[in-house]
Amino acid sequence: MTTSLDSGLSVRGLRKSYGGRTVLAGVDFAVAAGELVVLLGTNGSGKSTALRCVIGLTEPDGGEITLRGKSLKGLSGTELARSRRTAAMVFQQIHLVRRRSALDNVCAGGLAGLPLSRSLAPALFPRELREHAMACLDRVGLADRAHDRAGRLSGGQQQRVAVARALCQGAKVLLADEPVSALDPAAATQVMALLAELAHRDGLAVAAVLHQPELARRHADRVLGLLGGEIRLSCRGTTLSDSDIEALYAPDRVEEA
Amino acid sequence: MTATERPRRPVPARARKPLYVAVAVIAVVLGAAHVLAWQATEVSPGALVDGWRGMARFLGEALPPDLDWDEVVQPGLEACLTTLAIGLLGTTLSVPGALVLAVLGTRGRHPVVYQLSRSVMSFLRAVPDVVFALVFVTAVGLGPFAGVLALVCHNVGVMGKLWSEAVDEIDSGPADALRVSGAGAVQVLANAVLPAVVPSLVGLLLYRFDVNVRSSLVLGLVGAGGVEFLINQSIQLFEFDQMATYILMVLVLVVAVDLLSAAVRRRLSD
Ligand SMILES: Nc1ncnc2c1ncn2[C@@H]1O[C@H](COP(=O)(O)OP(=O)(O)OP(=O)(O)O)[C@@H](O)[C@H]1O
Ligand SMILES: [Mg+2]
Repeated sequence: MTTSLDSGLSVRGLRKSYGGRTVLAGVDFAVAAGELVVLLGTNGSGKSTALRCVIGLTEPDGGEITLRGKSLKGLSGTELARSRRTAAMVFQQIHLVRRRSALDNVCAGGLAGLPLSRSLAPALFPRELREHAMACLDRVGLADRAHDRAGRLSGGQQQRVAVARALCQGAKVLLADEPVSALDPAAATQVMALLAELAHRDGLAVAAVLHQPELARRHADRVLGLLGGEIRLSCRGTTLSDSDIEALYAPDRVEEA
Repeated sequence: MTATERPRRPVPARARKPLYVAVAVIAVVLGAAHVLAWQATEVSPGALVDGWRGMARFLGEALPPDLDWDEVVQPGLEACLTTLAIGLLGTTLSVPGALVLAVLGTRGRHPVVYQLSRSVMSFLRAVPDVVFALVFVTAVGLGPFAGVLALVCHNVGVMGKLWSEAVDEIDSGPADALRVSGAGAVQVLANAVLPAVVPSLVGLLLYRFDVNVRSSLVLGLVGAGGVEFLINQSIQLFEFDQMATYILMVLVLVVAVDLLSAAVRRRLSD
């Protein structure tokens, strides 16, 4: 898969402060279609805030976000919503509706394209959507659990259902905020391998926040480090060194040394 | 002995000493409150002991219960159905009002709307259902209908508050997840918020049905009909054995409703 910036995500000069405290002081980064980029940084360094600004859960103070070559600047209303829909997000807390089946949860990713009358309950979802959702579940390896309640699945399986929901949305840019922080090592590897595959084989632009440098080394095409509200580290996953990590997580100690 | 062999360490002194004075003050205040309450309610164990004969006579007349079918049991059963019906309608008819107030009274509303709806609910909760019953009796006359209206008013306040709290407590994560996928407000409500809250809303509804059946018993006393009306009547006519029958019926009714709603709530909360 060739990587292309025009069909990925690009963020320029993203700024955000809370009550006078600057969290993002001009963040620049890009994620091309076909690559998996991992975002590292200490607790509170603003990784979640950056992703939330892209997806629209947080209003940034400034900066420009471009999705698939189209800038969100100046867009509003339905036009903004339509452009944003090309990006999807999965969360550490997974956020599935626990009482509904895995399949119904995946279908919910496709709500935006449905008329209201067909979207009020799973029984009303059109057959086409259910079959597409089934294909998405199959993509994450859970076709056989379609009718199980989401709450009954293991954490790793739930996170894969959440990824399938993002696929059902038709997302070309996938954001993942600590998708594996609550998973055991085997499930974490499985989910990271899935994200890498979605980038490399299906050509999605994937940006994942992680707290495990090991996983970043193993799965990421590129690693970005967020420190002091800016991107201070950018390297290939395979070349991520221990001193890079040291500098990112304990800058004071490195400066003192 | 192992106790002497276990490792030990001196406990370091706490930075903040326990508030002995505060504990003592609270104890004195609580004690005084109980003394005053004792006097205010004219508690007198002597009177209770001296009067045991009266109680015994009363209970003797009540036992055995009068199980005459035509005179007592059949009217009693009919009245129980009336009581149940008052409780049922009092609960069901309050659903729309409670829903509106609950939705307006959840966090995130405009502060004025939020406060207004909270105040209306507080008012409806503060006025006892018996008072509502008296008010409605003056409008529609004695009978079960006044009881239904009274329960509806009181229950709208209580259930609205319980429901709005249940809605406030749910995790907003699944709703956020759908919102960022482009789903509209109604779609988010139907596919993320409702599936999460409906079980607890239904559970609370059943709990209120249980409470309302018991309240409708009390409303019988103000002429709203039902089995408690018969109990009141039999007391006034000194037919204590009939009263005993009705009380047994009430007991069975209350326990049955309680068991039913508890069973359904257990199924819902798996
Ligand atoms: N809604 C908010 N209101 C006020 N401050 C906030 C809000 N959201 C985040 N912050 C602050 O912004 C800073 C960055 O938070 P953010 O959640 O983006 O960090 P993070 O890098 O994701 O950390 P973690 O690794 O713990 O998830 C933190 O100091 C946090 O307290
Ligand atoms: Mg975070």
